[in-house]
Amino acid sequence: MADIPLLELKGITKRFPGVIANDHVDFELVKGEVHALLGENGAGKSTLMNILYGLYHPDEGEVRLDGKRVRIDSPRAAIDLGIGMVHQHFMLIPVMTVAENIVLGVEPHSGPFLNIDAAEKRVRDLSERFGLAVRPEALIESISVGMQQRVEILKALYRGAEILILDEPTAVLTPQEAEELFEIIRSLQAEGKSIVFITHKLGEVLAIADRVTVLRRGKTIETVPREGATEEGLARLMVGREVLLRVDKTPAQPGDPLLTVEDLRVFDERHLEAVRGVSLEVRAGEIVGIAGVDGNGQSELVEAITGLRRPESGRVVAVGEDITNEGARDSLEAGVGHIPEDRQRRGLVLDFTLAENIALKDYCEEPDSKWGWLYPKRLVARAKRLLTEFDVRGGGPQTLAASLSGGNQQKVVVAREVSRDPRILVAAQPTRGLDVGAIEFVHRRLVAERDEGRAILLVSFELDEILSLSDRILVMYEGRVVGEYSPDVSEEELGIAMTGGGREVAA
Amino acid sequence: MSVAEASQTPLDRLRRLGEARSLAIIGIWLGVLAVWLSVPPFTIRALVVPAAAAVLGASLGLWALTRGERKLGWWAIGVALLAILVALWFQSEESAELESVFSIGLLAATFRFAAPLAFAAMGGIFSERSGVVNIGLEGMMLAGAFFGIVVVAETGQWELGLLGAMAAGAVLALIHAFFSIHLRADQIISGFAINFLALGVTGYLFRSIYGTRGTPELEERIPNVHLPLIEDIPFFGDLFGNLNLMIWLMFAVVLTSFIVLFKTPIGLRIRSVGEHPKAADTVGISVFKVRYAAVILSGVLAALGGAYLSFGTGNAFNENMTAGRGFIALAAVIFGNWRPFGAFGACLLFGFSSALALRLQGSPLLPSDLASANLLSTLPYVLTLVVLVGVIGRSRGPAAAGRPYVKQ
Repeated sequence: MADIPLLELKGITKRFPGVIANDHVDFELVKGEVHALLGENGAGKSTLMNILYGLYHPDEGEVRLDGKRVRIDSPRAAIDLGIGMVHQHFMLIPVMTVAENIVLGVEPHSGPFLNIDAAEKRVRDLSERFGLAVRPEALIESISVGMQQRVEILKALYRGAEILILDEPTAVLTPQEAEELFEIIRSLQAEGKSIVFITHKLGEVLAIADRVTVLRRGKTIETVPREGATEEGLARLMVGREVLLRVDKTPAQPGDPLLTVEDLRVFDERHLEAVRGVSLEVRAGEIVGIAGVDGNGQSELVEAITGLRRPESGRVVAVGEDITNEGARDSLEAGVGHIPEDRQRRGLVLDFTLAENIALKDYCEEPDSKWGWLYPKRLVARAKRLLTEFDVRGGGPQTLAASLSGGNQQKVVVAREVSRDPRILVAAQPTRGLDVGAIEFVHRRLVAERDEGRAILLVSFELDEILSLSDRILVMYEGRVVGEYSPDVSEEELGIAMTGGGREVAA
Repeated sequence: MSVAEASQTPLDRLRRLGEARSLAIIGIWLGVLAVWLSVPPFTIRALVVPAAAAVLGASLGLWALTRGERKLGWWAIGVALLAILVALWFQSEESAELESVFSIGLLAATFRFAAPLAFAAMGGIFSERSGVVNIGLEGMMLAGAFFGIVVVAETGQWELGLLGAMAAGAVLALIHAFFSIHLRADQIISGFAINFLALGVTGYLFRSIYGTRGTPELEERIPNVHLPLIEDIPFFGDLFGNLNLMIWLMFAVVLTSFIVLFKTPIGLRIRSVGEHPKAADTVGISVFKVRYAAVILSGVLAALGGAYLSFGTGNAFNENMTAGRGFIALAAVIFGNWRPFGAFGACLLFGFSSALALRLQGSPLLPSDLASANLLSTLPYVLTLVVLVGVIGRSRGPAAAGRPYVKQ
């Protein structure tokens, strides 16, 4: 590793209305290294890299490349300097082909015509050279997310990128795809490319990075080499305090059964039987975890319980009330709270303010409204109280939900659901895409709600989460509950059950 | 999409022909052929010929039905039944009466009715493909019709008239572009404002310049193109030997639009801006520039359509003479799935039914109460809607159409 940095960011400051996203941030990258940029959601990682890529303009500070000061005022300028970026939300056009997406803007042409054969050939050459398997003629909308990401990387390489910025690249990948990505990163490194890897996942940092720069609330905290770094140490730097990576909880004191599901059958939108006769029971004061690989009927089960999908047959009883064929309103009035798995589509109205989002389920009742008249000031007052209690950062009651980071959006959803004082809480993927600090918060809160005597049904694809939170674990496979375990079960045994190899339970 | 099509081998295409969907489509076309066989110039009197085509079409439809292609299958059967009815009906009619409706003139009139629509539709495609909805096509056509004829009347030169029309369309389009791209106004509202603006300005100037006399008699109009060699070919020559210059220009514009949009880097960029402007921006394409260019081009093309109305096929300007053609063109864009040939097909269909309706007025083929102008004038709309909605169904437009782009 050479000592002269290839890239230096010095004293970068970027202010948005009401927030300082970057506060005199320093960052350096030496040639051929993989440098992780670690921080919680909203710490300013993406802002910093968007500045480097010319999407934002810094209010203060300078960028040096090879020791020379450069001005990057557009993505075009960044591309010309050999900087490429793979955005967290892919910048790909779904209805166009892989090759078309890659060459867009620097198209090979013969005369005035687009030479698509040449484009496909160049893409093929590049993909062979760097070991990134793609099909140049496939439409983006028809390929997997993992392949879409490879297309994004090829897009940058095609433009001659020497520095590659990967913005939370594993957030959308399956574990296998993430492993493939790490292989790709290593081969890029071997080709002499320098890589900035933005993440909030500690395990990834230790797996792939040479050095780590930690950002916290818009400031550079420290740059450390990987050697000697530990998950606990990095978590402390990132959050600014000791973080418990394990959840602390006392044994459950289960009470009366609050949620009963009997022989439930639910169809999905393709009219296939997604839930095939599930029965379960959740008692007051316990967390029941549903483990399983995505797509084994968990989503449909949750939707049926919360009144979002009508079951084909069977019964759902919440706090003694049969809500089998009732709608979402009846379900929540029966005392069911719901943290939906997709907070942006089902949990929040992104174009509404936080105060409005928090009132989404109570707007029609006193004190929010009376005689059909809404009292916005009361919504704001309540929101202000809840935002403080749930430590939501990045905005106040009047901020639009869309402008919050994912972790803070999730806290808003949790705040709304918990504050309604439900007897039953259905939490689907409550920590998806969250950083350690936010995960810790949500986990603690769920345990606290359990101790309050609520019945909690937790659905998660993360085994860690299931194992550390649940008092009882049910495994779902192909629409059925195929096993019940206590939380001291081994990950291995659960994994086998989740893929259909477990013992059958006639529950 | 174009790339995917281009990379198919001939074998793939052959295999596709065997699919239920293709069978149903062939069945529909056989039904259409059956109708065509019973009208001039063929006027096959033996019922068996069109009936055979219709039966074959219906059976293909039935086959498709059994293989799961329900909608198109039923259509093939429906068209076949209709074809047999038409054939039976025409058996009993006099040849001369049939020829008064179904002649080469019908096809020529189809082109005349379709041309203004086709120009505007191509304009609409460029604008919408770049992500700007252009309801203002109607107003841009109207402006082209008026300002074009003013220049012709003043200078006596149709070439200058076309330039004048194009300039007028470009100015209106520039206003629409500025509002919807720079000021991020609602594109529907901006488009409507353009329409009202054009209606008001042309109406006011028309009266204040020409008073109640209307536009003066023109010394020059857009000329027809005589092709001496082709003129002598029977049938074909009658149709193509003496077409207006604008009809030829229309063919050229449709073909060029297709090539530009799907075969050039420029087209790829236009489409990328309309689908995912941020993706285009991050690879260094200027979203604003592309959108401005596309919207202005759409104004220029729409104005050409208007110019053809006032001093190509016609010879005078009337207030609001476009009479909703801009909206029909917009519908053609959607029916044609934002593709030049698709939209052109929709324009031709509309043109054909307009021409047919005109010729059926007072025709002895229909009972007199059915042959009234009022009822028949709905034919183009009804026929176009039925065919396009029924057969084509859902279409998918550019993902970012109608949404202003906000650069950070």
